[in-house]
Amino acid sequence: MLIELQMILPEIVLMSMACALLVFDAFIPSERRHLTYLLAQLALLVTAVLVVASFPQITEYAFNRTFVDDPMSGAVKAFILVITLFIFFYSHDYLKEHGILKGEYFVLGLFAVLGMMIMASAGSLLTIYLGLELLSLCLYAMVAMHRDSPPASEAAMKYFVLGALASGLLLYGISIIYGISGTLDLQEINNYILYNSERLPMLVYGLVFIIVAIAFKLGAVPFHMWIPDVYQGAPTSVTLFISSAPKIAAFAMTIRFVNDAFMHLTPEWQGILIILSILSMAMGNIIAIAQSNIKRMLAYSTIAHIGFLLLGIISSQSVSATGVTGFADALFYVVTYALMSIGAFGFVILMGRKGHEADELDDYKGLADKNPWFALIMLIFMFSLAGVPPFVGFWAKWFVLKEIVATGLAPLAVIAVVFSIIGAYYYLRVVKLMYFDKPVSMTAIKATQTMRAVISLNGLAILLLGVSPGLLMTFCIEVMKL
Amino acid sequence: MESDRVIVVPRCLLRIINKKMFELIVFYIFAALLLTSAVMVITMRNPVHAALSLILAFFSSAAIWLLLEAEFLAIVLVLVYVGAVMVLFLFVIMMLDINLAKIREGFIRFLPVGFLVALVMVIVMGSIVGSGIIEPLLEERVYYGPGFSNTQHLGQTLYTDYLYPFEIAGAILLVAIIAAISLTMRARRDTKAQDPNRQVAVKRSDRVRLVSMKTEDR
Amino acid sequence: MLTLTHILLLATALFCISVAGIFINRKNVIVLLMCIELMLLAVNMNFIAFSHFNQDITGQVFVFFILTVAAAESAIGLAILVVLFRNHDSINVEDMGSMKG
Repeated sequence: MLIELQMILPEIVLMSMACALLVFDAFIPSERRHLTYLLAQLALLVTAVLVVASFPQITEYAFNRTFVDDPMSGAVKAFILVITLFIFFYSHDYLKEHGILKGEYFVLGLFAVLGMMIMASAGSLLTIYLGLELLSLCLYAMVAMHRDSPPASEAAMKYFVLGALASGLLLYGISIIYGISGTLDLQEINNYILYNSERLPMLVYGLVFIIVAIAFKLGAVPFHMWIPDVYQGAPTSVTLFISSAPKIAAFAMTIRFVNDAFMHLTPEWQGILIILSILSMAMGNIIAIAQSNIKRMLAYSTIAHIGFLLLGIISSQSVSATGVTGFADALFYVVTYALMSIGAFGFVILMGRKGHEADELDDYKGLADKNPWFALIMLIFMFSLAGVPPFVGFWAKWFVLKEIVATGLAPLAVIAVVFSIIGAYYYLRVVKLMYFDKPVSMTAIKATQTMRAVISLNGLAILLLGVSPGLLMTFCIEVMKL
Repeated sequence: MESDRVIVVPRCLLRIINKKMFELIVFYIFAALLLTSAVMVITMRNPVHAALSLILAFFSSAAIWLLLEAEFLAIVLVLVYVGAVMVLFLFVIMMLDINLAKIREGFIRFLPVGFLVALVMVIVMGSIVGSGIIEPLLEERVYYGPGFSNTQHLGQTLYTDYLYPFEIAGAILLVAIIAAISLTMRARRDTKAQDPNRQVAVKRSDRVRLVSMKTEDR
Repeated sequence: MLTLTHILLLATALFCISVAGIFINRKNVIVLLMCIELMLLAVNMNFIAFSHFNQDITGQVFVFFILTVAAAESAIGLAILVVLFRNHDSINVEDMGSMKG
């Protein structure tokens, strides 16, 4: 029992600190609200240290195998915590600027991180479901947190209804899988499939519902309809959150399903994912061109990137048979995507000020004249998202394409490259607006010193990872080794 | 003569209807009730009627759950769902002054699409599920029978094997409380409550202002 | 005799009715929330049927958790609905076309 408790120590610490913060926040005056923020950051930092300190080398189970501790879960948790440190920083800046700073925001944020950690190390269908719900419920509430903003509440409602629908589909799939195999344990389901191949059709029936639900949560076409509205309507700080860390957690959840439980149904789920992936890349990249709102444009860009991430998941499986990489390229892709996404949305936060969101593309006209340094950083984010070398976005795409070709799906790689080139257009348009257009207004950009420092750090990280991607990739291969 | 007949018919029936048959009849009655009330939920003009139909749906599924020996959950469904969640629904419906004419606008327009979707889904899913390939893992149906405590069995599993999920469920409920309060609680601005702390801390300069004026001419 | 297929078909029908309800009541958020409850009820029915016919209590444990989460979910959904109503004086999502796309 004690050893089991030790294994979930990071989760316990995070949860206790979130509860303590909730009580603390109720008693401090509103002008000292930044203390809540600092303590939330401290909670993340402590949890991150604990995760790294107890980094698992082998796969271990606890609590009747509902909790699993393996290198992948350790890595995913560490990435999520570090990304959330950035997210909270940008959020604090945004909330303070717009006068909606509330302690509950950070408490719910911590609970969302807890949900993601539970998803990352779930050993049973039940834990996956509960972790996912903990995350989703926090996100619904955070989108609606800006109570006086009509678009935010509308976005929250859409997000809630479609999210609940996705949960319903997921549960239906889980119930079928449970009914056939008689267990909720991922590993046991895997064994069941191995020894009972005659019941395959029914298992596929359940699997389809689960894949559709995953597509909903990730936002893959044709289950993407919530993404643009939610990204645009939510406060930018929440958009930043939704677009980054939960994607890493969703990746971990997908791996738990397709690798831990349904490894012997690979051809079945691969087929579905290939269709979803092509549709996402096509729709995301083409519709993004028509957008004039940068948050909406980045939403479609997310859809396109999800398509690429699915490619990574499709490719890795067949390569893992030779023991080369596992899902390392997909993990690399999703982590670097999260880093680029918080950078891009962080920049939207930086440009905004009270009563003005700076989410129209026209707001970026002539930025290079006003502030060349900021324009350079935004250029890094845009180039990296487009996949221009030497930034990290290029390497992420490169690794995925290499794996796809190695899997023997070369036509898929060609399709991916074509859509990436189409997609490059709208990222480069932002760069063109910044460097070659006349500014609409000459209002100077106000930003605190720390904000300048953090966003520069974010840009620098993307540049450095792009110059030497080997280190992160080696780490990803190491943790995803099967 | 008349009373004789009344007794004779049930006897005949009793001979035909054994326990299993009776179970099936009960199932069909409540299944029909459940499906009817579910259709009523999605087609009722008035949200209050829809909520009441949903309550009926919960009651009929609780009855079916009793047939399946899930006594604890059947009672929880009635107590928690009908008793708390649906009351919350009704509370919100009545609190919000909903314009009925406006929300029904899309109904006729979306009806064919919804009907078509449901029909396709029922045919596809029904043909898969109804073909009977999903078989129970056990050869023969086993009953726990009377004297077996479902609650005890459930509780023992819940607090031992599923301890970790149980704790997570606690976190989820806490999040629901935080979210619901922080979304809907507003400090009322029109209250006339006194704050002694501020009353005591008042300084002269907060209340009295000396204004130097020109002396008026007579 | 009552078989597993009976219950599974009932649950399937209920599931399809709730999905149809989500399509039909796109403009009426409060009924949408009720459709989600119906959908979870269908899933619970599945779990309880499997739990009974497989003689495995795990299915009932799962239903216990679904009931808990669904209660939390409807509390948050209704809270969002109240916020939405305060902002728009309507619970009609499609009407408020502030966003297009």
